[in-house]
Amino acid sequence: MPHAATTGLFPPMDRGMFRDGVRVMAPMGLPVAVWGLVTGAVMVNAGLSVPIALLMSVMVYAGSAQLATLPLLVAGAPLPVVWATSLVVNLRFVIFAAASRRAFVHLPWQQRLIAGYLNGDLGFALFSQKFGDADEHGNPAQWGYFFGMNTFNWLAWQVSSIAGILLGNVVPEEWGLGLASYLALLAVLIPMVRGMPALAGTVVAAVVSVAAHDFPVRSGLLVAVAAGVSVAMATEKWRHRVQAVAA
Amino acid sequence: MSETWPYYVIGIVGLTATVFATRSSFFMLPAKYSLPPWLESLMRFAPACALVAVIAPGILVPGGHVDVGWGNHQLLAAVASAGVFLRWRNMLATITVGLLVFTALRLWA
Repeated sequence: MPHAATTGLFPPMDRGMFRDGVRVMAPMGLPVAVWGLVTGAVMVNAGLSVPIALLMSVMVYAGSAQLATLPLLVAGAPLPVVWATSLVVNLRFVIFAAASRRAFVHLPWQQRLIAGYLNGDLGFALFSQKFGDADEHGNPAQWGYFFGMNTFNWLAWQVSSIAGILLGNVVPEEWGLGLASYLALLAVLIPMVRGMPALAGTVVAAVVSVAAHDFPVRSGLLVAVAAGVSVAMATEKWRHRVQAVAA
Repeated sequence: MSETWPYYVIGIVGLTATVFATRSSFFMLPAKYSLPPWLESLMRFAPACALVAVIAPGILVPGGHVDVGWGNHQLLAAVASAGVFLRWRNMLATITVGLLVFTALRLWA
């Protein structure tokens, strides 16, 4: 690769493309800020101290995993259960990484590690839209665009999360901040449920998770995921078979 | 808090590791490795199942008892919220409408 620099934390970037990346992410600033504000406020409202909530926001940088594991952490669930839950919620990022690796695969390891860490839902979708069919993968234009988008997203998220953390104790509990976190997750969930297999799997996971809500060490969630994923995959297999017979 | 901070700090370090392990996964692996289709299916369905398994008990089991009736204000608020999101795809409106419905029911129902 002619462009790749071997030192530094970031690859070489085209400045104009960096600005374009910021510009394309800017309209997402408001939804991201709402989501960050809610996440920050909910963490503190649920009982995390301000320093712990700040640490979590700055390090984890994954709103859905933070909100999903928050009830487990507050209940003092065993850490392996907490981590397994986060891992499952984050598995979608493995698909993102596999799909966008072509633009990064020749960079030095520390640059790949950082680029991957910043490759969240929005940045991935917009990057694929722009460069999914490009003739060349991995150049300063693409890296500039990628880091422009994701730097903006990172800043919008951190600033709003920190604001939420500082405001969290001021918001009265009756306002239903706990509910707000479930509504925010709902907005992440709904676009994921596309097609019959995903729908069947999520319905099963919902029913099992309610039935298993008092399982020991908060293991109900993982049981529900196992049931839901099995049903989704079986449905997908069955559909392929039906399509094969029809063809 | 002072007694539980190591639990939280170790927990947060582990959570960060799960983010790196997933987001950077294929960025770190040599190009010869790819996702087998069955594993991709699993990874596609698992996050939605996990999110619904957080949301469903959170909404339907208020205070430790399963409640799927009209008396569950959280459930009605969530249904309104989901409707708003499906129609307008707007995060701010989704959360605002849900909280307004919840507050209205709490005050007047």
